Amino acid sequence: MADTTSSLSGTGSVPQTRDRTERRVLLSLVLAFVTWLIQAVGVGPVLNLLGQAVALGIENLFGWVHIRIPVLSAYQSLLDTATETLGFLRYLPWAALALAALFVGLLFRQGDGFRWAGNRLARKSVGWIVAAALLLLAMALSSLIDDYGKVGKVVAGFATRNGAFLAAFCLVAALALAVIGSSGILVTRAGALERVLVGNVTAKVAALPMILVAMGIFFGGTIWTIAYSFTNSKLLPKEHFVGFDQYARLWGEPRWMVSIENLAIYGVLSLIFQLVIGFLLAVLLDQKIRFENTFRTILLYPFALSFIVTGLVWQWILNPDFGVQHIVRSIGFESFVFDPIYDASIVIYGVLLAALWQGTGLVMCLMLAGLRGIDEDIWKAARIDGIPAWKTYLMIIVPMMRPVFITTLVIIAAGIVKVYDLIVAQTSGGPGIASEVPAKYVYDKMFLGQNLGQGFAASTMMLLSVLIVLIPWAYLEFGGKKRG
Amino acid sequence: MVDIAPHAHQPVADGPRGKRPKPLFSLRNIVVYGTLLLVSAYYLVPLYVMIVTSLKTMEEVRLGNVFSFPRDITFAPWVKAWAEACTGLNCDGLSRGFANSVWILVPSVLLSIIVASVNGYALANWKFKGADIFFTILIFGAFIPYQVMLYPVVIVLRELGVYGTRTGLVIVHTIFGMPILTLLFRNYFTSVPEEIFKAARVDGAGFWTIFLKIMMPMSLPIFVVAVILQVTGIWNDFLFGVVYTKPDTYPMTVQLNNIVNSVQGTKEYNVNMAATILTGLVPLVVYFISGKLFVRGIAAGAVKG
Repeated sequence: MADTTSSLSGTGSVPQTRDRTERRVLLSLVLAFVTWLIQAVGVGPVLNLLGQAVALGIENLFGWVHIRIPVLSAYQSLLDTATETLGFLRYLPWAALALAALFVGLLFRQGDGFRWAGNRLARKSVGWIVAAALLLLAMALSSLIDDYGKVGKVVAGFATRNGAFLAAFCLVAALALAVIGSSGILVTRAGALERVLVGNVTAKVAALPMILVAMGIFFGGTIWTIAYSFTNSKLLPKEHFVGFDQYARLWGEPRWMVSIENLAIYGVLSLIFQLVIGFLLAVLLDQKIRFENTFRTILLYPFALSFIVTGLVWQWILNPDFGVQHIVRSIGFESFVFDPIYDASIVIYGVLLAALWQGTGLVMCLMLAGLRGIDEDIWKAARIDGIPAWKTYLMIIVPMMRPVFITTLVIIAAGIVKVYDLIVAQTSGGPGIASEVPAKYVYDKMFLGQNLGQGFAASTMMLLSVLIVLIPWAYLEFGGKKRG
Repeated sequence: MVDIAPHAHQPVADGPRGKRPKPLFSLRNIVVYGTLLLVSAYYLVPLYVMIVTSLKTMEEVRLGNVFSFPRDITFAPWVKAWAEACTGLNCDGLSRGFANSVWILVPSVLLSIIVASVNGYALANWKFKGADIFFTILIFGAFIPYQVMLYPVVIVLRELGVYGTRTGLVIVHTIFGMPILTLLFRNYFTSVPEEIFKAARVDGAGFWTIFLKIMMPMSLPIFVVAVILQVTGIWNDFLFGVVYTKPDTYPMTVQLNNIVNSVQGTKEYNVNMAATILTGLVPLVVYFISGKLFVRGIAAGAVKG
């Protein structure tokens, strides 16, 4: 949309041969950077664990149909020979960088010489040189920075390990830009390298936090957890591969089975009730009534409260000695029993009651927005045809609100899998293990039970269940739009 | 002038105009308002119970039921909840958790909104190759269960030396608030007419100038929405608080849960309810003051972009 580089006046474009060379420089630089990143972040163990898991999975798959192929041991021996013979690959970043420098030389020969005065990319080039100088400076002062707390230590360590390579990288980039800039042609469309290194560079720097979080935490973190679920990590993560043992143990654990069962009951019921009640309330509020704002404020306020507060209040209201059961008994129904806090068979319904109180307001709000988005003419047409209101809602309005329903469904579903605080506050998983949920299982194993491997396996199962809902939705929502 | 539409504003026929007046107590009205009043009562009961219980003495709590009105109102439970209630070895009440929560809340809200608004602006107006891929991953991150990312973040915080501190929790809130806020800002900035952006470009404004001088002043409402979203979200958080802080730095929600669900000692239900109200007070105040903007915030955060 906004291309900062094409704003120069004049005509002509970069000749094809030079553009091709620019592409080659760019490709070698990307190769150098990616291979460096792989080494610097230390993705080796993670990739290795995933590779072993895939190999074992294939082996088991063949084992099912009684074909025995030792895929896992083949993978391991292949890896061993690879690490022995391909050890030189760790020089790949430097080699790629040298290649890039070589192509810059070629670019220089194809151009009209080198000039600094009147170089149109001089400032950008200097920027890259400054970056290189800063890196070298950090490297030189690393022993000084080292003393400034743990962050200083991290920076110093990073600079000593990677400063030389990154500085060299910046210098090659600076050189390439200087060579491109000294060409006499006035360009209307910049070459490939210039577009990547110069174009929109502020936006790229500004989006750096997002890129780091998306790749480092959301993508990298998820992959890391999956990889380490194949290990027997206890107190600290270890790289000892144990295949699918953690998963086998997980599904043999009564507490996990109870958690899954609870999540299923809670999930299905809260999905149905929230959608139905939320929609009915939205319809009621849509009847052009007085005090609509007051009613909406009342119905939505629990949503502003935390699950902890919600859980504690309902724990108190449902308390058998003081709350609902006590009151109904004191009216005269002496044998009335309603104890969803200490009765293991109905405890999850008590949690459901609190969850509905907290979350239905949100669904009502989303539905109301959907109802308001429907054209008034539809209503007029239905009235002229003499269709009763309830039938109009059921046969016309609900089908029209399909996107709203699907979006609401996804939001509720994503929230259901995460449910944790409410259980902790209202029942602490009790009585016994009657109201445990997967999220609590993960937390307890990871941070209380010192059984990281189990926690990783359980959280991977949670991820899987969310993806089963999420991927079809994303496909319908975004894949469909592209086709249409 | 020639009158070409003489009958435009004249009634077609004489007689009563406007809608036919409806009776106040029609069956429809009774059903609609009756249901709404009943539902409202169900929604308000917990709030009533909280307040009533917190104003009773412990003897009265034991004698009566949760719904009865207090005979003699006492504020002692509130004082105790705020300044004396015990969690483990600390006996300075919720005031410690409140201070921690405020200490965490203010920088988290500021930092997450600054980062997310710049991200959203870059995504909306300065698109670069590959930006959409990162954005899609970020949005997936909003739906993925946090449990998958809990431990990797522990490692990152430990490497940075801020695990267990309030600074660490500020970083965590900035990270996990990013998806929804970036979506919010991106959608808003995309809806700003492109001509304004282009005019500024022609006048020679750069990335930061356009953001600070044009986009930010134009989008104050969305910043308010983001503040509401973050204040309630961060204040109500429990999971990150309990994972990434230590007893000394627990936010208010974690401390509240520890006070109420502690196994030792007799249960003081009135103190518990006072503590619960105190913890819920901040988001409630935000909710009642912000009104329609709160609704807009959750709708914007919830509905796809």
